Amino acid sequence: MSAGGRTAALELVGVDKRFPGVHALKNVSLEVRPGEVVGLIGENGAGKSTLMKILSGVYQPDGGEIRHDGRKVVLRSPIDAAATGIGMVHQEQSLLTNLTVAENIWLGKEKPFLKGRLIDHKAMAAAARRQLEKVQIDIDPTVVTEKLSFAQRQMVELAKVLTLEEEIEGHLVIMLDEPTSVLEQAEIDILFARVRALRDRASFVFVSHRLDEILDLSDRVYVMKDGAVVAEMPSADADTEKLHSLMVGRSRNAEYYKENRQKPYRPEVVMAASGLTLAGAYEGVDFELHAGEVLGIAGVIGSGREELARTLGGLAPATGGTLTVFGRPARLATPGEAVSLGIGYVPRERRVEGIVGFLPVVANITLGNLRAVTRGGLIDHAKERTTAETWVKRLAIKTPTIRTLVMNLSGGNQQKVVLAKWINAGAKIIVLDHPTRGLDVGAKEEVYELVRSITAEGVAVILTSDTLEETIGLSHRIIVMKDKRVTERFEAMPGGKPDQLDLIRHMV
Amino acid sequence: MESLGSIFERAKLERRRLLLTSLAGLGAAGMTGLAGRRAFGQDQPQLANSLRSLTNPYHASFAKGGEMFAQSVGAPYEVLVTEGNSEKGISDVRALLAKSGGNLALCIDPNDTPDTRVIVEACAKAGASVVTIWNKPADLHPWDFDPNYVAHISFDGAPYGKQMAETLIEKMGGSGGIVALGGIFNNTPAIERKQGLDEALAANPNVHLLDFQVADWLETKSFEITQAWLTRFGSDIKGIWAANDGMALGAIEALRAEGLAGSIPVTGIDGIRQAVDAVKSGEMVGTVDWDPIWVGGMGLSIAYHAHTKKIDIAKEPHLHREFYGTGVPITYKNVDEYIANYIDKTPTIDWNDLWGRVSGQIRAG
Amino acid sequence: MAASAIRLPPASRIERLRAFTPVIVLVVVFAVIGAIAPAFLSIDNLVRIMNASAIPLCLALGATFIILMGSIDLSVEGVVAMGAVLTALLVQNGANANDLGFLAIPLVLLMGAAFGFVNGVVHVKLQIPSFMVTLGMSFIAIGIATVMLAGERVRITDTTFRELALGRVLGIPMGVWVALAATLVAYVIQTRTRLGRWIFAVGGGEDILRLTSVPVGRVRILAFTLAGVFYGLGGILSAAQLGQGHALMGQGRLFTTITAVVVGGTSLMGGQGGVQNTLVGVLIVVGLANGMVLMGVPPYVQTGVQGVLIIAAVALAVDRSRARIIK
Repeated sequence: MSAGGRTAALELVGVDKRFPGVHALKNVSLEVRPGEVVGLIGENGAGKSTLMKILSGVYQPDGGEIRHDGRKVVLRSPIDAAATGIGMVHQEQSLLTNLTVAENIWLGKEKPFLKGRLIDHKAMAAAARRQLEKVQIDIDPTVVTEKLSFAQRQMVELAKVLTLEEEIEGHLVIMLDEPTSVLEQAEIDILFARVRALRDRASFVFVSHRLDEILDLSDRVYVMKDGAVVAEMPSADADTEKLHSLMVGRSRNAEYYKENRQKPYRPEVVMAASGLTLAGAYEGVDFELHAGEVLGIAGVIGSGREELARTLGGLAPATGGTLTVFGRPARLATPGEAVSLGIGYVPRERRVEGIVGFLPVVANITLGNLRAVTRGGLIDHAKERTTAETWVKRLAIKTPTIRTLVMNLSGGNQQKVVLAKWINAGAKIIVLDHPTRGLDVGAKEEVYELVRSITAEGVAVILTSDTLEETIGLSHRIIVMKDKRVTERFEAMPGGKPDQLDLIRHMV
Repeated sequence: MESLGSIFERAKLERRRLLLTSLAGLGAAGMTGLAGRRAFGQDQPQLANSLRSLTNPYHASFAKGGEMFAQSVGAPYEVLVTEGNSEKGISDVRALLAKSGGNLALCIDPNDTPDTRVIVEACAKAGASVVTIWNKPADLHPWDFDPNYVAHISFDGAPYGKQMAETLIEKMGGSGGIVALGGIFNNTPAIERKQGLDEALAANPNVHLLDFQVADWLETKSFEITQAWLTRFGSDIKGIWAANDGMALGAIEALRAEGLAGSIPVTGIDGIRQAVDAVKSGEMVGTVDWDPIWVGGMGLSIAYHAHTKKIDIAKEPHLHREFYGTGVPITYKNVDEYIANYIDKTPTIDWNDLWGRVSGQIRAG
Repeated sequence: MAASAIRLPPASRIERLRAFTPVIVLVVVFAVIGAIAPAFLSIDNLVRIMNASAIPLCLALGATFIILMGSIDLSVEGVVAMGAVLTALLVQNGANANDLGFLAIPLVLLMGAAFGFVNGVVHVKLQIPSFMVTLGMSFIAIGIATVMLAGERVRITDTTFRELALGRVLGIPMGVWVALAATLVAYVIQTRTRLGRWIFAVGGGEDILRLTSVPVGRVRILAFTLAGVFYGLGGILSAAQLGQGHALMGQGRLFTTITAVVVGGTSLMGGQGGVQNTLVGVLIVVGLANGMVLMGVPPYVQTGVQGVLIIAAVALAVDRSRARIIK
């Protein structure tokens, strides 16, 4: 299993992982050679984060094995992983901002600096300075971390991980989990330069959504899709378009997206944007949304589409341009204003923002419009039940009874409950912000059916999705965004759906 | 070692709350001290009582006793209210020392034990005379600061706990089972009073203690405990001894709920008005009045006598410098007399009988 | 598709069983005490337990709504004291000439509502944590009660009014009937009104309500006001039961109240539990206190047992929420 006659620093052989209802990793094999930077890409839900969590000891694989320097290792916890020589630089930085840089670097490793029972801060700072030199950054280690910029903190994280070097035998492997997402270009350049300089000390696994960065920094790239590694190639042989099409796959199953049930949208315009702008996020966006239409917004991270969706849900008011809802100008300054105009926003973090898990299905459905089932100040339970049962039937919500707590439903059915709540509350426009994130295949299909059902009744949908496939499959029309602007528009009626590559061309 | 009344413990709690209350800006009402009265005789020393709060009956009477004494000698009198704040208590005393140039006789119920030393030292430095009540560190003695620290007065719970138990036993006819309600565990008066109960029980072998429970001085807790006792012992309960009046009243209400009020004798301690009424109505058989008018007046009188050199305090025996005062037992036998003398009229007290109610020297430790 | 159907039937069965844990605990506690001290289960004693439960129940009902929202209300002792003092001063009493009789009841409930309302408004509008606001309010209420009475006690001389606690219907004290009626009202509010539903929703996730039309601030204020009314009722019953009012009448009530709510299975995190749980919790706490005296448990151990009880109950609740995260 070694490449070029050398033992791999880190090797995954046939790793498998299942969660209830989801086969998250399917027989994944991957190797990281000493001194190598390996890029890892894939769409959301492709299995990247599960893989990272297995490598950092958060999850245990159900099958297969992990080898470090050719020896099989079992990583029961992040501490195990670190002791083995696998370090992690987190996407959400793991530094405690109220501690000094030195304290952060040596957190949990204070023992060598103890004089009796007291910490020798001078010695600790001096040792921290030596670590910071490894990443060539000039920071006073006695400074409190919150005073540092994000880029500086990233470097401190890196320095912290590098402390493992002195503690372990064998090769150090450092995982960089979307390290660039909070950095400016100049800072990214510095980070990359440091990573390159550190290759004689460690190997890296680099996860990013930005394909150009992956190509820039990595020696080799692994592409994941649906829990499996679908391609592996030297960076020299790849370009962004090629990687992108590998990530999204080529086949789109018309049946899967219920395209036969996709009806033409109605002529009336329910929402229109003209020159809509949110400073720093997107500029000059125009679109019209019709009753019964699914309008897909495509674009890579940073294109501005996420912020646009949030604007339409009332969570990030636009700073310029005009927006009309049902013919009337609207600002959507708060979620409450959006709700009152008949817009329901279905957030990606359902568990946090979409449902009340402790409440039964029936209470969740009627939560948005309790007045309708209240008579004389008291809730009419019979009426409430009827309402909920109607929705359960209409949206085919799979629940043992309407009294079942929503937290006990599957993700797809929770999603339906959120939608039922909105439509029951009179929403005519639904903003679906990554509606299938974290759902398994079956549940996704149910959401697709749901989209067809509600649009057939004249509800309009704004969709941002994790995959292009989904966007194309569900939408009537698609707007593509790149660098904060709309770059192209596609008609996407059944029979005339655009190709993923057409979209990609305007996205990257 | 200081013997605190249970009223006192509760007042302490109350004072903490009051402190916060006044922080909240609501404590202004009713807090200003009684206005100082200008002296007729300019040669008379300034007199003052310092106490916690005028909002509890104990301290209100304490202040009144001081005023009665001050009137009897025609000296200017002032009430200092600490509001449960040690700093305020100390700084008020300092201000009065400065104002009077040390020509001051003070009777003080210190807010907290450590305050005592500070105040005594300040008085000694200024040449004033001070008598302290209830609170004093065990290692601080009046004779350490002759002649300025005149005396310390406290009350011993044990003899009164015993006397109430004896009253109860007598009413029961000398035999049968009793149940007893104690105050907060670890609290000096609770321990002393219980000790008195134990002594009485040892002396009366025909009376046995069915159960002893701690009701934290609270009537609500004593209500619930008494209910449970009625289930557990039923008619075996021939008497209920309570370490304070509040718990005694709680027990009576539990009895009342079962139609038993008045049929089982109950005793308390502290002499609060409702307990006196209950003794009068026959629902209780005894309580003890600490007579705060006497405490407030006599404490000041002793300080005054020492300050004006009417007595040479340094030559008085230790028994007169650190002593337990005498409470006034109120039982079913003397309640009418008590009401006539103490409630229907304000008792006349001979302010020159300085040592008449000395019931013993304070035990060390 | 089949995979996405009801994912965890066993979990929901456990969940259902968990819902009955407090009842099981109640039965076990009563059975064990009854086995050791048979008098515990006598009719007389059960009536006594009910009588002793009446006031804690009223208080715990109020606190239930607050804890369901994931907040905490420490103003119990203060509002009860205010309620008892005000009651004592409004009915025929030994301190003034008032003689309102039962008319005092709505006035005292209004007072409770006022305190609760202030709790809620300060908590919501000034964004001060509920425990701090209500703790302060408790001190303020006790302070006002102290000043009103100058530290004295007021004795209630209105014997008709005292029938509220002492009178019996079908052999059961009136106070118990009043508390049961209060429970029914609370249950209807919980299950049949929008406020009740919203209280659960706030406790289950305030974040999501941001995205709906539920007026979170108003719900909180109303819930605190409602709780104040129940504390006021507790104050009225206290005054009737003990025949007097004074500033420290509420002392010791807070711990029992919170313990009862939590032991009943209402989660301190909010969202789970309810009035029916609180009824069971009160019976456990009061029954246990009564039973410990019956069994002759030493007084100092009793406090410890109560402490263990509350920690065990919270530990159970924590376990529940952990299950939620694992899933």
